[in-house]
Amino acid sequence: MPATTTPTPVEVFESGDAALRVVASSPNREANWSTVHALAGWLEAAGADGVHGAVPTYDSLLVEFDPGVTSARQVRAFVLLGMRQLDFIGAPARAPREFSVPVVYGGEYGPDLERVAEHEQLPVEEIIALHTAKSYVIRCLGAPAGSPMMDGPDFPLPVPRLKDPRLSVPAGAVAVAGRQAVIAPAMAPGGWCVIGQTPLAVLDVTSEPLVPYVPGDLLRFHQIRAEEFASYAGRKLEAAR
Amino acid sequence: MSGSLVIQQSGNSVVTDLGRFRGPRFGLPVNGALDQFSARAANILTGNEDSAPLLEVTALDFRMRASTDILIAVTGAPLRLTVGGRECQQWEPVSVRAGETVALRQITGGLRAYLAVHGSVEAPVLLGSCAPDTVIGFGLRLTDGAELKTSRSVPPIRQPYFDLPLFRLGLTRPEFSSQAVVEVTDGPDVDEFGDTADLLYTTEYTVSARSNHIGLRLGGDLPERQSSAEVLSRGVPVGAIEVPSRDELLVLHRGRGVTAGYPVLAVVTTRSLDVLAQARPGHTITFRRTTVPDATAKHRAALRELENLRSTVSTVFALLGIGSRPGWQQFAPAAGS
Repeated sequence: MPATTTPTPVEVFESGDAALRVVASSPNREANWSTVHALAGWLEAAGADGVHGAVPTYDSLLVEFDPGVTSARQVRAFVLLGMRQLDFIGAPARAPREFSVPVVYGGEYGPDLERVAEHEQLPVEEIIALHTAKSYVIRCLGAPAGSPMMDGPDFPLPVPRLKDPRLSVPAGAVAVAGRQAVIAPAMAPGGWCVIGQTPLAVLDVTSEPLVPYVPGDLLRFHQIRAEEFASYAGRKLEAAR
Repeated sequence: MSGSLVIQQSGNSVVTDLGRFRGPRFGLPVNGALDQFSARAANILTGNEDSAPLLEVTALDFRMRASTDILIAVTGAPLRLTVGGRECQQWEPVSVRAGETVALRQITGGLRAYLAVHGSVEAPVLLGSCAPDTVIGFGLRLTDGAELKTSRSVPPIRQPYFDLPLFRLGLTRPEFSSQAVVEVTDGPDVDEFGDTADLLYTTEYTVSARSNHIGLRLGGDLPERQSSAEVLSRGVPVGAIEVPSRDELLVLHRGRGVTAGYPVLAVVTTRSLDVLAQARPGHTITFRRTTVPDATAKHRAALRELENLRSTVSTVFALLGIGSRPGWQQFAPAAGS
């Protein structure tokens, strides 16, 4: 994740007896994101007794803890200590890795590609061109199972979710919704528009961590033909650099 | 001596533990035993660590046969427990002889029972936990004929007085009710619901049949969000109460997706999550507002009770020579020589 000079201020909210929500609410979205991820990193590294871990997303962080060992009050103090530390040392810099993701667009692999094209009033080719045009920053890991949540392609309009979510979307599905993009690491129900599928295995339950990327890494899609899909069988998603 | 458990009737059963606490940072739900108090108690009653793998049996009848002499304990929802055809007590250690069938039948009043075995059972581990994850397809869901490896055998413990229960360890059992009261604290987004938030505390909700380990769906008068601004995905705690549709209230449990974009109206206390774990479809739920310090105090009181149980169990087991601690029997020859 990129180095930040000064973290933005945060507010801490009660979230039951076993979690706190920490929110960075400055007008600078990029700085908010850096702040909550840097704070999550600090909390993980500090490893306080009874703190299970932290789940950072865009502008917020959920800190989970064992109320038998520590308490909301103690963890709040710990979070504020972390913020003072980050103010002092700045958020640590880490060079992002880049992942290259082959995708078969449309047809059985991307049943919603034409729907999205119609909604955006663009030809299908232009949707693919926009989707492959740039690298995306992985903002956070989401449900299900460590999905890489990314800011979406530069489509003219936000993409509406499906009215009837699918009961089952296959692993590797490449989808868009609103202004966001994602790959589904595992088969799960889903309401996002599926425009393609990657043949690479994203999730590996035999390794730790289960997914190869962390928030802050970059991901870029490139188009392959349907005939090439099978030739990638058994290959895992790996960093290009 | 190691042995095995052969599952004769799996019903709806899994091998689980207290949960995958390192999962959420990787986008995996914590999962694990839904009724944590009952699961901890079962392990403590068999002399195990609280976090040892054990069986969670949900709603349906379950039978297994042990290949060696073992010691078990069954906790959770009230049911009819038999070993080799003999009626046995829940919430007490129970001696099982090689070849005998252990049957859990007629789970009533609650939904989930826990069966722990002294020395525990073997199960695959992911991020430090054997808890099944239905989304990524991990874990041991038991099937008829499946075999579980056990690591320790316990010789049958003789009961000199005919027909009396073997142990009386005196744990206060949780109450199981079809009209449960569930304590919650105000959620971080309670203000978004305006005055309608109070409906949560004045309405009697009914548990829907579509409830599971991911969340309970409750029917009744629903608080309504007053704004429609889009919410960025963010981490949501286990116990979060959301109103995702006009039909039902959603109360997230341990299988919940780690992130979501719905406002959190309230959060169920750790102690009351165990109550929800036992709510059956058709049961009614009322919510009561509490504070975080009060919820923490109640959770810690329950943990103290479990600690007391652990100390009683370890004393009794030491006297009987069960487990790794040396018992008086081992010192007896020296004393007599």
